[in-house]
Amino acid sequence: MARINLSREWLQRNLTTITPISAAIVLVIVLRILNPFFLTTHESVVTLVYGMSWFLIAACGLTLVILMGSFDISIPSIIKLSAMLCGVFYPQLGFFVIPLAIAVSLTFGFVNGFLLAKFNIPSFMATLATSFVAEGLAQIISGGYTRILQDPAFWAISITFIPAKFGLPSIFYWAIILWIIGIFITLITPFGRSVYAIGGNIVGARLAGINIVKVRILVFMLSALYAGISGILYAAQIQGAHMQIGVMDTIPLFASVVVGGTALTGGVGGIHRTLLGVLIVRWLDSGMSMIGIDYNIRMIVFGIVAIIMTIVTIERKRIKIMK
Amino acid sequence: MNFSDLSIIEVRNVSKTFNGVVRALDNVSINVKENEIVSVVGENGAGKSTLMKILVGIYPPDTGEFYHKGIEVPFPRNPGEALKRGISIVYQEKGVIPHLKVYQFLFLNMEEKFTRLGRLQLERILNVAKEVLDELNIKCDITSYMYELPLSTQKMIEIARAILSIKLEHGEIGADKLTPIIILDEPTAPLSLEERDELFNHLLELKKTSSFIFVSHIIPEVIKFSERIYVLRDGKLVAHHDLSKEKVVEEELFREIVGRESHYYLWSKYAYGKSELFEKEPIVLSIKNLSKRGYYQDISFDLHKGECIGLFGPAGSGKSEIAKTIYGIISPDSGTIITRHKKAGLNDEPHRRLKMGVGYFSGETGKELFLYWPIRKNVSLVNMEKVAKKPIKVMSIINFKAERSLAEKIMKKLRIRAPSVETECYSLSGGNKQKVSVGKWLERSPDIILLEDPTIGIDVGSREDIYEVLLEMKRSGISMILVSDDPKEYAILCDRIFFIKDGKLQKVYENEEFRKVMQL
Amino acid sequence: MRNKVGNKSIAISILSSIFKMIRKNPVSWLIIGLTILFATLYSESFLTGTNLESILKGFVITSMLSIGPTFVVLMGSLDVSYMGIWMFGGALVWLLFPYLGMASIFIYPIFGLALGFINGIVHVKSKIPSFILTLSITAVLAYLTTVIRNIYGVLTLAVPEYRFLTGSLIQYVPTTFLLALPVFILSFFFMNFTKLGTYLCAIGSNEEGAELAGINVKKYKVLGFAVSGFLSGLGSIALYSYLGARAPVTLDLNEMIRGLAAIVLGGTPLVGGIGGPHRTLFGALAYVLIFNGLFLAGIDPNQFKLYIGLTLIAAVLIASRGLKGVLIT
Repeated sequence: MARINLSREWLQRNLTTITPISAAIVLVIVLRILNPFFLTTHESVVTLVYGMSWFLIAACGLTLVILMGSFDISIPSIIKLSAMLCGVFYPQLGFFVIPLAIAVSLTFGFVNGFLLAKFNIPSFMATLATSFVAEGLAQIISGGYTRILQDPAFWAISITFIPAKFGLPSIFYWAIILWIIGIFITLITPFGRSVYAIGGNIVGARLAGINIVKVRILVFMLSALYAGISGILYAAQIQGAHMQIGVMDTIPLFASVVVGGTALTGGVGGIHRTLLGVLIVRWLDSGMSMIGIDYNIRMIVFGIVAIIMTIVTIERKRIKIMK
Repeated sequence: MNFSDLSIIEVRNVSKTFNGVVRALDNVSINVKENEIVSVVGENGAGKSTLMKILVGIYPPDTGEFYHKGIEVPFPRNPGEALKRGISIVYQEKGVIPHLKVYQFLFLNMEEKFTRLGRLQLERILNVAKEVLDELNIKCDITSYMYELPLSTQKMIEIARAILSIKLEHGEIGADKLTPIIILDEPTAPLSLEERDELFNHLLELKKTSSFIFVSHIIPEVIKFSERIYVLRDGKLVAHHDLSKEKVVEEELFREIVGRESHYYLWSKYAYGKSELFEKEPIVLSIKNLSKRGYYQDISFDLHKGECIGLFGPAGSGKSEIAKTIYGIISPDSGTIITRHKKAGLNDEPHRRLKMGVGYFSGETGKELFLYWPIRKNVSLVNMEKVAKKPIKVMSIINFKAERSLAEKIMKKLRIRAPSVETECYSLSGGNKQKVSVGKWLERSPDIILLEDPTIGIDVGSREDIYEVLLEMKRSGISMILVSDDPKEYAILCDRIFFIKDGKLQKVYENEEFRKVMQL
Repeated sequence: MRNKVGNKSIAISILSSIFKMIRKNPVSWLIIGLTILFATLYSESFLTGTNLESILKGFVITSMLSIGPTFVVLMGSLDVSYMGIWMFGGALVWLLFPYLGMASIFIYPIFGLALGFINGIVHVKSKIPSFILTLSITAVLAYLTTVIRNIYGVLTLAVPEYRFLTGSLIQYVPTTFLLALPVFILSFFFMNFTKLGTYLCAIGSNEEGAELAGINVKKYKVLGFAVSGFLSGLGSIALYSYLGARAPVTLDLNEMIRGLAAIVLGGTPLVGGIGGPHRTLFGALAYVLIFNGLFLAGIDPNQFKLYIGLTLIAAVLIASRGLKGVLIT
């Protein structure tokens, strides 16, 4: 009896690893066929990098939250607010916009975590509400107008090519570093272990003496921090900020986390998997736009992909009741 | 056993095996007569709930006959059919739906009787609800929400609902000669002491028109309120007492439930000194006037280093809540908890208490363990300080090598049978799961450890291993508080045993005294 | 057993329970408070007929989009497909108009019902979280609406013959309000006079217990979604004149939130078991009043998002009082 269960488990467990890898391979092949220059020219690689770097950073934050078993809808709005802060206040504050944006992001993260940990408000609802506040603030400080960042020194944060000739823009390195830090935190620190614990078995986590309130607040603060950094780097990359940043990004972000193999239920997967998920999502996006598929349809495709991967990764045996 | 003409239902030679391995019931026969309360008692896993589920049609037995008023009929195939026979069940927990109004809950799933032209006849429902509750002498506002009512009233309404569903299914009682049989599964466990009395008073009233099967392991209540008692142990019927003909003593029932022939004679190996030995040791835990309304009252005691205290008492006596309070799982209303010479905040969460040197080991591995995690991770979760180092002041890193060797050490010590430290816990047997759980605490070595049902449902061999470990911990200076349903456990592990009843500390026994009283 | 159903006594009991409801609900105090506040602060602009009319219009929009989903929230799930029904249903009306004439607007409730069933069955069978499921289905519907627009090369899917819906038959009372009344009545009926309301509450309050009590939980979950879709579809008739298939199709989370905001504001917490359509109506009214007040105060409409967010936070904080002990993620 135990044998049979084991192999079903095994299949499902490994399914979440096999699927993204095979999807990635398939995508690369298809994209190559569609566009012979795909990944073969320096230019195409750079385009990919510009598309995925800020996205990867945000996705790492979201992964952390999902690992804990919660949800964070406010990430795109925090990215927008953070970018806007840079755009609006750079003339007055110069590089001090960076700590400003970070401080503001951390505050939002704290509020998110606090609402959940102390008031028992479902994370979906709490982050939804704070996302509105963030959007509203972005609107207020910018008046709705796009801001241009004039200073090449600021752009240099993101677009400095390392090495200079055939290298990659600095934003890529930031993204990879943050990704590695994320992996480090989740896999190698006791804090990361407690995140997995809460996501996997919150009752057991409490019995094992994990400070659930503290971890929850920290996780949301980290997620917001990542979002904030993503916003800063993105503003540097596009040399400005506008109100369309982050709009409609919730679904692709979520898709990239789930496609990588992190289950919605929490406790399974990890930031290390998110890189692959992000690549797949960005490639899918490029591929679809190459074929000329409309923006809205692409959203739907991501939605469907997210649903399929959710079904694959959710450990339905563990959850008797799904709302 | 002959069946009397007075019995309403009788089942004979019922057996049920699960998965070809676990024999839940072995040739059990019971019957229920008119206007009586019959109790079925036994340990966890004795087969009580399996038998009840068969009676209400949740699953069929492998063998057995069902007699209804002397006529053999097939076993009910689903709860609906059981209702038609007049059998209904009130579950131990999760039966109440808190956010429904009383009248909504009362008629839940029976609304068709009150619907005309697709519309619910509210007026009629309210009237009938009032009538029913008045008849059963339950005083409450039928438009209030269930969660607003005291627990005993909620339970009574559940019972009213059970009776009502039989009535509605079958027409009026008396006219059709159908006496409802209501199965009450551990109804008093969540109730406070006054509430229990209320409940029993109601039951005695209701006995005039219905019969009850009372499933329980609270011995005093069972003796006080039933006409007859069936004792199940390991799936077999080991005793049947007719209280109109014989008098039954609590200790006798205990023995029948738990089994006179002990599998192990460990307890004879360990000689116990008197508690004076411990009085010289420092006090590691001091509890003063701990109270929580409805659960326990004015609990005070001191725990010395290396001592093991048992909180012994019937289910619902408050012993489990006291233990949970000490670890911070639930909060008391008032009182003081002092450990390491510091007062603990009453509303502390477990992580605080853990830091203060308290540990908690529960036999319910489903909650305690992370079943999808490997042994290694489960063991290290409460031992992070041992496997993590701090290269920089703020950041600690897990040392995987240390983690692995720690888990290996535990596995070896406790003789945990598993392929490796990477084995995921769900695949382990019950006894091995328990060992992983206790192993992590062994390593942690808190000053005090609370043990709740530590060996519940596991095999004899593992049980022995765990007792050995616990005793070793005790010898090394760890103090313990035990909460369990098995008197033998108390006899093996505890130096002093506190008898808790009705939420109060009634009497303190030395280990020797306890054994005499329990006739172990 | 008394079989005589006294109509008078039912009316009295309904009235008295309405009063009890108003007294118990914090939102109703909020509404009364806001009304008084605005009446004093902005007496010239607040108490005019035109303002009343715009409040009613706003109220209709918000409530029509939130009454249906209330039933799903009662069971502890989420349903955001009302936007999709509104949009795509409108496209269907446009498509069918040449064939069915004025009657084609009745495709709305039929479509809503069908979609609701699909939502419910997929959710129950595959255990996909309801929020994700309904969000994705809305995305699909949004896309399909654009497709239709593209296929026929039209900019708007409005049908001019329905213009009269935007007007007011009685002065200052928008027609849409009248059209909304049947939806209110129907939702009350479902909630209080059928098993559905009770069962959905039961499932939201204690799903395991409901199962143990013999309720066919799967069936009622599907029904819950179906009713939600049906009511949203019916409500969309009242809303046909506003946006709907006309406006640019965006998966704007912000607009979607309106419905949920009204539900939460009204005091139906998202965990289920408590609340009902009556509360959502209060919530919708409160929502509209808040924004009416902001508008009258002259605040830039673009900044509304901020206030929506703050209001939501306040609303969930108040509602969280009832959530002690529930394990939330």
